[in-house]
Amino acid sequence: MSLKILPKHLFQAWVDRLRTTHRVVAPQEQFGQYIYGEIEAGEVVNLEYPTSVLPPKKYLLPPREELFAFNAKTMDMQPIIEDIPPTIIFAVHTCDMHSLMLLDKIHSTGYTDQHYRARREKTVWVSVECMKPCMEHAFCKSMGTLSVPEQFDIHLTDLGDRYAVDIGSERGETLVTGFTGFWEPRDADYQRMNEIMAEKWKHFEYRLNFDVTELPELLASTAKTVVWDELGDLCLACGQCTKVCPTCYCFDVTDEIDLTLTNGKRVRAWDSCLIEKFAVVAGGHNFRSSRARRLRHRFMRKGKYQYEAYGLMGCVGCGRCALSCPVHITPVDTFNRLHAQRVKAEIAAQVPG
Amino acid sequence: MKPKIAFFEFTSCEGCQLTVVDSLQDHPELLDVVEIVQFREAMTEKGEDYAIAFIEGSCTRPSDEARIREIRERATYVVTLGACAHLGGINSIRNRQELENVREYVYGEKKDWFDTYPARPIGAVIKVDAEIPGCPIDKKEFVTAVTHLLQGRMPYIPDYPLCIECKLKENVCMFLRGKTCLGPITRAGCDAICPTYGDGCEGCRGLVPNGNIVSLKNALRERGMTEEQIDAKMTMFLTYQQMQTEGAAQ
Repeated sequence: MSLKILPKHLFQAWVDRLRTTHRVVAPQEQFGQYIYGEIEAGEVVNLEYPTSVLPPKKYLLPPREELFAFNAKTMDMQPIIEDIPPTIIFAVHTCDMHSLMLLDKIHSTGYTDQHYRARREKTVWVSVECMKPCMEHAFCKSMGTLSVPEQFDIHLTDLGDRYAVDIGSERGETLVTGFTGFWEPRDADYQRMNEIMAEKWKHFEYRLNFDVTELPELLASTAKTVVWDELGDLCLACGQCTKVCPTCYCFDVTDEIDLTLTNGKRVRAWDSCLIEKFAVVAGGHNFRSSRARRLRHRFMRKGKYQYEAYGLMGCVGCGRCALSCPVHITPVDTFNRLHAQRVKAEIAAQVPG
Repeated sequence: MKPKIAFFEFTSCEGCQLTVVDSLQDHPELLDVVEIVQFREAMTEKGEDYAIAFIEGSCTRPSDEARIREIRERATYVVTLGACAHLGGINSIRNRQELENVREYVYGEKKDWFDTYPARPIGAVIKVDAEIPGCPIDKKEFVTAVTHLLQGRMPYIPDYPLCIECKLKENVCMFLRGKTCLGPITRAGCDAICPTYGDGCEGCRGLVPNGNIVSLKNALRERGMTEEQIDAKMTMFLTYQQMQTEGAAQ
């Protein structure tokens, strides 16, 4: 929509002003990690944090949420749609913005998820341009998520002593309106921005050994390789990778009732396809009883199934799963291993026998 | 009519029953929905007519067995409380050692006065209907379990690893801190209380079904743990479960 420039010394004042009308959340340091939480002053917003433990999706899909309340005696039911305060989610990396695009699509395809939508409509997202990898496992460049997606609210690029403030939506526009610190961009600003954007790409070295457009087909053709069995022997099935994933949204539904067995609530909580009971159906059959099958399923979701269903990759290359895995299973290694295996098989097929 | 419930203890510290007392303070309405007829730690009456028996502690001597069986016969439901009743608890550490040496070490020259044998969970002596794990049990889980029993359902106990709960609390992973933890193979449900306060999980809630112990041990070795340290870690609460697995493998 439009570009504005904000001098850095006015950044805190801008955030503090936003705090008068919104709940502002941003990653904050805690024991060496960054965790998204409500900030109490503009000065604590750190735009150069490495990565957050849980992605900001927790503001749209809380780990545990109540769906409706019921009275088990009268069978009376009341929907619970949480009315969150207007919220600005600050300092979002572009990979997480891409995951937001996928989550939006999933939750508005077919039946609209009212709980998700209610929260989504109350949030404004302020993303940041990443100048260098946020951590060793980030492979956003390979996944095509190193630039902000087409839809965004406000996107910040660090130009040294000032930020370029790209306004991408009406919702974003409301955050800059009324604050007098912004100035119109001049030629020097555009030039600096072009330099920075051209310069940053070479810093992102960690990547797939092949083009991501080949990934869905690669996964289809290597579904039966021994790589999955080997990874299944290694995998702890602890499920951490699914908890930290910005695109995982599977949930389990349970009813909770008070001791008098009268008033209860239906609750949904994050589930995980890595845990053993995930694919158990009535009658007790488990469609994915081995760890290898469950791990493969997860990678298929990330690199194939989501793409086929929604046209967007289920993996945004944030690297959180790799960072959290106690036995070092990473998407980059896994996908590269599959690729190497297929190349080997192709060469073998060409050798006249 | 309120269901009658009773509490019993065998070899244990009775800390789980203290947790029950504590949960009564948080949820006094428990007393509106059940009638406690026997609870040595909290009252003097000793009723023998009960529908639900909660048993804390492990079975560590032949003379325990008759009493445990009697409880089973009287109660409609038998629910165990805590790691000792569920896993044999820390009492089972001795199961790896010669019984005679253990008796001598504990009782000295009076060792013959006391009758004892390898510790077992209550479930190894009688059929139990449900097990509430932990050292001690979790208050919230106890209250939920009672709710489920009142509904005529078996209590729901998580069967996925602790890492799931720990990650949701956004704790610093012990493995990222260079420390060690049994979280990936231990049953969740405690809200990751130990890692939340900076200590690795010791496995008091028992192993998840089909946990990847081999891979976890490799992960512990990689973090510099010696075989002895790994064995010690896997022994605190998991001796009985581990010995059962070894026995089954032979």
